[in-house]
Amino acid sequence: MPDRELNDPQARREGGGPGWRNPELVLAAAVLGLGAFVIIGTAGVTTASSALGLGPRFFPFLVGGAMIAVGVCYVIDVLRGGHGDPEQSEDIDTRTPADLRTVAIVSAIFLGFAVTVDVLGWITGSALLFFGLAVTLGARRRIRAAAIAIALAVGTHLLFVEGLGVTLPGGLLAGVI
Amino acid sequence: MDSLGLLLDGFTAALTPVNLLYALIGVTLGTFVGVLPGIGPAMTVALLLPVTFNVPPASAFIMFAGIYYGGMYGGSTTSILLNTPGESASMITALEGNKMARRGRAAQALATAAIGSFIAGTIATLLLALAAPVIAEVAISFGPADYFALAVLAFTAVSSVLSRSVVRGLASLGLGLVIGLIGIDQQTGQARLTLGIPQLLDGIDVVIVAVGLFAVGEVLYVASRLRHDSPDVVPVGRAFMDRSDWGRSWRPWLRGTALGFPFGALPGGGAEIPTFLSYTLERRLARGRAREEFGKGAIEGVAGPEAANNAAAAGTLVPLLTLGLPTSATAAILLAAFQQYGLQPGPQLFDHNPDLVWGLLASLFVGNAMLLVLNLPLAPAWARVLHIPRPYLYAGIVTFAALGAYALSASWVDLIVLYILGLLGYAMRRFGLPIAPAVIGMILGPMAEIQLRRALAIGAGDVTVLVSSPVAIVFLSLSLLALVLPLVRRLVRR
Repeated sequence: MPDRELNDPQARREGGGPGWRNPELVLAAAVLGLGAFVIIGTAGVTTASSALGLGPRFFPFLVGGAMIAVGVCYVIDVLRGGHGDPEQSEDIDTRTPADLRTVAIVSAIFLGFAVTVDVLGWITGSALLFFGLAVTLGARRRIRAAAIAIALAVGTHLLFVEGLGVTLPGGLLAGVI
Repeated sequence: MDSLGLLLDGFTAALTPVNLLYALIGVTLGTFVGVLPGIGPAMTVALLLPVTFNVPPASAFIMFAGIYYGGMYGGSTTSILLNTPGESASMITALEGNKMARRGRAAQALATAAIGSFIAGTIATLLLALAAPVIAEVAISFGPADYFALAVLAFTAVSSVLSRSVVRGLASLGLGLVIGLIGIDQQTGQARLTLGIPQLLDGIDVVIVAVGLFAVGEVLYVASRLRHDSPDVVPVGRAFMDRSDWGRSWRPWLRGTALGFPFGALPGGGAEIPTFLSYTLERRLARGRAREEFGKGAIEGVAGPEAANNAAAAGTLVPLLTLGLPTSATAAILLAAFQQYGLQPGPQLFDHNPDLVWGLLASLFVGNAMLLVLNLPLAPAWARVLHIPRPYLYAGIVTFAALGAYALSASWVDLIVLYILGLLGYAMRRFGLPIAPAVIGMILGPMAEIQLRRALAIGAGDVTVLVSSPVAIVFLSLSLLALVLPLVRRLVRR
């Protein structure tokens, strides 16, 4: 089992490195841990004692067991210096180190949106979400970003609520629209 | 021919003005979203799933057929005009396609891709219409043990084929299976892995999983290493080809179709292998001028793989419609779309909902023809889409992802789940775990469980019931082969 070194910021630093310093070990350990979690987490599920003995715990047990096996192989593979290739995509520069600060800001904006959207309503919430993300990802002209954000928020509201009959909260603007 | 008669009935359904309009909306949306950089066909379908929430089933599937094929078309435009490696299935197209574009032959590259896709799509859809009823007939005799073995084959094949590392493919599969376990057990009503959160009792909706892993995961990944230089798009006019281009293209189109369709229909086949094989084949067969041009932009290297790509897309629908078996991430999302309407693809679908199936098949032809008409003259417009400033593009993707997840049940818990899955998608991209096995595991897992429990109930707890039919034995042996072969290959290489 991997030890607490994983939480050490040094070990999570970009570029990996051999064995236990590779950040991929966190993912491998998570697979292993999740396998154990599945088995333990479904242990409490009361088995309706059917005559055939195949209750709701059987399949999770199989999945959990398989994941522990895969997780062990994965951890061993990483410790022996194996690594996956970062996925290629059109806008990805795989040669630069990961900019975890931007990831954190994007995460904060999204989670902020998630917990406030019921109160703010779709139009206000999604406009703020779009504006925040666009600026974080490098939009320079803020007024233009804000204009697009408002247009997109109002547009999606009209399309989905008026056009497709989907329910979205009005929130702050509930009386206005 | 009975199925041709049914197909004609399908055309009468697909050619009504309303359904033609849905098909047009589908292909346009599909192409538009597919052209956007960073968005592959699977994400296109996932992001557009919410648009069909309140549309009647027949029209929704016609729209989906358009989105599915449109997403394919859009992806190839991106890889030809944008000089950066994209997702795996269209990466091969970029090899020669982008070099052609750089040499001022973008119009011809786009034309051979569009016409080749049309021809391959049409032939492959015809093959699909002929093969599907036959396979459905055979599959009707499959028992639970056979279906379980088939699911196991899909799991192992997709995990071992799509990744250079089997263990990473299987890890991805396992993550998907665990997500599929969350919620109430369908047979006993017991809650599993819900952590006491009431919103998880119904399980995690596939829209949230697909949009989270694909869209939110992609944006987080892009955020971590965004290219800051402005995109390098090759300018293009109307797509066209001259006589010699036609002469050089038609054989690769047909060969690509012949490779793409069967591979698409196999579990774990997908579009990656046939496009690659088609490229290698064309390169080997090239003579004279084509031989010199390979590596610098040969039209054969675009025509073959593009045809293979589209034929594979149609091939994927064979196991999906006849067995309810998704063999690619996109197919898994389509399966989820069926389930949303309470329809279970499989042999019974052809008996119970013939109108819907044949309407869908007919609309694949219609959508394909529309795409050809739409794409040849509109190439310059799609090229403009590639100039969308990236901050707006990715902010927009997240906004639509949030909309899709939130529109399901207006619950903020869904948004949190969406984010967590996005983080998972980010980690998987960062460390090279393929996403497709997770999506397939999540959607096919519950079905595999039901069939396993049914089979074992029939066998009264005796596990040998799983290998009691020849069909099941074949499928399980192939699964084992899919896992062992990469290991053997690695040992031999050493």
